[in-house]
Amino acid sequence: MEILIKNGYVYDPMNNIKGDVMDIAIKDGKIVEPSEIDLQRAKVIDAKGKVVMPGGIDIHAHVAGPKVNSGRIMMLNDHYRSFMKLVPGRRRSGTGKYTPSTYITGYRYARMGWTTVIEPASPPLKTRHTHEELNDIPIVDKACLILMDSNRIILNYLDNKDYEGCKEFILWLLEAVKGYGVKLVDPGTAVLWSWGRGYGLDVDDPVEPYSLTPRDIVEGLCRVNLELGLPHPLHVHCNKLGIPGNCETTLKTMDAVSRLSSDKVILHITHVQFNAYLGGNWYDLGTGSEKIAKYVNTHKHVSLDMGQIDFGTATTMTADAPFEYALFHMARWKWLGTDVEAEAAAGIVPYKYRRRNFVNALQWCIGLEIALLVEDPWRVMITTDHPNGAPFTRYPKIMTLLMSKRFREEVMKKLNRRALRKAILPSIDREYDLYEIAVMTRAAPAKLLGLERTKGHLGIGADADVAIYDINPKELDPSRDYEKYLKAFKRAEYTIKSGEIVVMKGEVVNEVYGKTFYVKAKTKLEEEIYGEVEKFFREWYTVELQNYIIAEHELRNPQPIYVGGA
Amino acid sequence: MTSIEVTLVTGRSLAQGIALEKGKLSEDYLKNVAVVELDENDLRRLGISEGDTVKVKTKFGEVVVKAIKSREPHPGIAFIPMGPWASLVVDPSTEGSGMPTLKGIHAEISPTKEPVMNPVEILRRVYNLTKKIPPMDPAEVVVVKEETKRIEKHVTCAFCGSLCDDLEVVISGGRIIDVRKACALGRSKILHAHENRILSAYIRKNGELVKADLKEAIRHAAKILVNADYPLLYGWSSTSVEAIKLGLELAEILGGAFDNTSVICHGPSIQALQEVGLVTCTLGQVKNYADLIIYWGCNPLHAHPRHLARYTVLSRGVYVKSRKERKFVVVDVRQTSTARAADLFIKVRPNEDYELLSALRMIIKGFDIEASEVAGVPIEKIYELADMMMSAKFGVIFYGLGLTMTKGKSRNIEEVIKLVQELNEWTKFVLIPMRGHYNVTGANQVCAWTTGYPYSIDFRRGYPRHIPGLTSAPDLLANGDVDAVLIVASDPVAHFPNEAVRHMLKIPLITIDPKWSLTATVSDVVIPSAIVGLECEGTAYRMDAVPIRLRKLIEPPPGVLSDEEILRMLLDEVKKLKGIGGS
Ligand SMILES: [Zn+2]
Repeated sequence: MEILIKNGYVYDPMNNIKGDVMDIAIKDGKIVEPSEIDLQRAKVIDAKGKVVMPGGIDIHAHVAGPKVNSGRIMMLNDHYRSFMKLVPGRRRSGTGKYTPSTYITGYRYARMGWTTVIEPASPPLKTRHTHEELNDIPIVDKACLILMDSNRIILNYLDNKDYEGCKEFILWLLEAVKGYGVKLVDPGTAVLWSWGRGYGLDVDDPVEPYSLTPRDIVEGLCRVNLELGLPHPLHVHCNKLGIPGNCETTLKTMDAVSRLSSDKVILHITHVQFNAYLGGNWYDLGTGSEKIAKYVNTHKHVSLDMGQIDFGTATTMTADAPFEYALFHMARWKWLGTDVEAEAAAGIVPYKYRRRNFVNALQWCIGLEIALLVEDPWRVMITTDHPNGAPFTRYPKIMTLLMSKRFREEVMKKLNRRALRKAILPSIDREYDLYEIAVMTRAAPAKLLGLERTKGHLGIGADADVAIYDINPKELDPSRDYEKYLKAFKRAEYTIKSGEIVVMKGEVVNEVYGKTFYVKAKTKLEEEIYGEVEKFFREWYTVELQNYIIAEHELRNPQPIYVGGA
Repeated sequence: MTSIEVTLVTGRSLAQGIALEKGKLSEDYLKNVAVVELDENDLRRLGISEGDTVKVKTKFGEVVVKAIKSREPHPGIAFIPMGPWASLVVDPSTEGSGMPTLKGIHAEISPTKEPVMNPVEILRRVYNLTKKIPPMDPAEVVVVKEETKRIEKHVTCAFCGSLCDDLEVVISGGRIIDVRKACALGRSKILHAHENRILSAYIRKNGELVKADLKEAIRHAAKILVNADYPLLYGWSSTSVEAIKLGLELAEILGGAFDNTSVICHGPSIQALQEVGLVTCTLGQVKNYADLIIYWGCNPLHAHPRHLARYTVLSRGVYVKSRKERKFVVVDVRQTSTARAADLFIKVRPNEDYELLSALRMIIKGFDIEASEVAGVPIEKIYELADMMMSAKFGVIFYGLGLTMTKGKSRNIEEVIKLVQELNEWTKFVLIPMRGHYNVTGANQVCAWTTGYPYSIDFRRGYPRHIPGLTSAPDLLANGDVDAVLIVASDPVAHFPNEAVRHMLKIPLITIDPKWSLTATVSDVVIPSAIVGLECEGTAYRMDAVPIRLRKLIEPPPGVLSDEEILRMLLDEVKKLKGIGGS
């Protein structure tokens, strides 16, 4: 298919295009020179007075895998409330708003103009499940990050300071389970949780029976991640998530690896809002946004994503099992916990964020504060830690909130007063512009994922993933007309995925299936290490090593990214 | 004539599981399943000896079976293995839960001179079936070519929810000649894989099943489904996730109902999870850490024979290394063979598990219990168990159909989940359901990620709905709501209660199965399929939701395709008939 998008206002930060009126040409799934298009055959889209951007990229959303599916099963109420109907030959049906079923997950991303999503927490032993779900998410490209912070084989290597062995093993593991990157969740806690301990574990606490601390794990794996040259930096959910006073923990975590790089990003701190709290208890909770932002503004080795909350019912799900146990005691409704042998643990607890609640209102402010106080939009990305803070379908709202102080003030009118007195948000004037929004939601995540050659931009040779929004930036001021921006962002005028039109006027018109990226080693694992791993397997696991490995043909559209080698 | 009153329990037995693989019309099956296990004392009270026939009568029906002496004493309790005989006397009412009552039923037993009916006679006389039943295809004759033996290692056993993946299968001449490391059930399934097979497609014409071309059978099946107002697609627990996925798409396009067999096993577990959650783990955690192992309402030595050795009591873990370091408790209504091996056996009165669980919760919360016994258990024993639970370092409860199928159903499970949640205030404690069919867990998983619901899904309105009690297969059939049924890898004619079977026999029936089942023999279209994990590959989920790949080891019989391939053809045909283009 050939497509010519004519006369749109193009926002393409990687190519330094800031709303220029341009034509974008598409052929065989790629962006090409307009001269290469046969105008007789091409579909011409008149984008005059509209915004054209690369497809959105979600760096962190729990959309697939064992934990998400348990959430679906547990949150029956969510599925009674929200559904999409079958349109024969065009789209499948599904249910759920916070824990949507797979097909409608893809459709809802596409309707917003998003074309890539990263599932950020897959336990290796159950990653076959994650891939089965990713296979069933239509339209978007995807990848999954692999939980490694409490993997006993890895901890053994770190404990023995055998970084070379650790590197080899991690590369093998990523390829074996077809994962894309290394994820740490509350480093070390899942080890202690096997004995029902671990709540509140801090950076320098011991992770028994290893002679390691979370700091050692972060530092060691950051080094391994860097030396392996993995496409994505170490992705960390810090210790003490959701506990007042955890801002210090986050700062220590960021600083633990500062000496490893002074220029490029080597550590990604995810859903930072949940890890930016001052105070000693919930009553005197305070915002740590300034401290976090100050650190990021003065250090180039870290990036953040927001983990913004929005009001309403949410489903919290993390591999931070003790935290979920603690949350269960606050929410007192349902609690689902799972441990995965030798690897990880997870919990799911439904939760409701309330405007009038002091803590929730302050959480809402903190997320936005961080995004507004960090100067460089290339290092702060929009997420809700879906479905922990809010569903991913709230991204349009968050984009608009960042673009309009007036919108923020409108929401703040209904918030808990005490929270607003403690927050900094009321005093922040900054408003993001469309270019910066395109950075945060397109260019920056593409770069952070190491996919910037083909993703997150509209230059020649890029994947033809494009979003067109029906909004005229020359006529409408986002600060004032935020409602119009919100409406336009919610339903893209067009979404094009790999050169196919998949959304028109906000509705899914065509179902295609994207790729699954994963890391593949250029070289084979050494016999000796394989033998060690096999021995460890017999000791710790209840499956055979051979059956743990996921074959490439189990993925619908596997897309290896080669790493390592001489 | 004398008669005695008992509590009837139905369920799996080892002999039933083994005989199953030889076919439901086999002598072995009749011999092992048309029986009632009675306590020696009860046999004496009836004035009969082992091998005599008795009539079992409940509010819901009656059946003649052979009496056998139970290995372990359980006066007042009668056990009939699941199958067409048990189905005649169980309680079909699901009380809006989707789950019939299959255990803890009041029954009367008396000696009789009447003979035991075989399954065909049951179909003819009880259900007044007029359809003709075909002669079975002879066992496949394989010409063994000269070939060196090969051994496939790390093979996953597709029988029960334990999915042991360390089997060694010896193959020669394209045929399996031996299996190592498997339990009796797995061994039977694998070594008898070639027996009782359906080797051709069939279509019923003028009341008789006649051999047909596969494509013709698929066209015929598609027509039945498309012409139906509200078809039901049922089974799915003994096939791959890949096949189930296609089944869901088919149900969606047809606007029909889709249900998997969890509706009659762990449906109540899922309902309880929806209410209160669950605290669980993978089996390796149990192996490595658990020092207290409790089996409640299940008999793994019969239903999951390697469970104890691979994952629990007898396994070698990282931190807990041997049987000596683990305490082992069984709670059940009768002393099963698993119970005999336990350190502590707690005999609970049938249908009173809820009371016992509540008592444990009270003790753990620090309340005193004044009664001298609860649910037939002396109070000291309950305190002893509560003490063991609270002082364990890592405790686990495995539970089975003894909790899901009895009075209270999902309420029992909610209670045990809450007990475990509360035990986490004291120590580490987890709960794991003993799932039966090898991929019943996978069926729940794929249903949930595709539709949002794990079972009993209705697509009539163009989007998924889930209302157990209404959209659950036993209710849809018993209420006569559906007008055609597609069965994949299941035998509801043998295992569903009376009323549901009656309706099934009145409406067009399509079966896709590797083997002749009762359901297949009375179907209007029969399509043979390959056995997953032996003749074709696919994914299945272990009872703890660990996904494991099943491999292809040998070729299926000539012309026989996998469920996945058959369903894809059927789906294409249905789309064609409905004029749906696209993918
Ligand atoms: Zn997250």
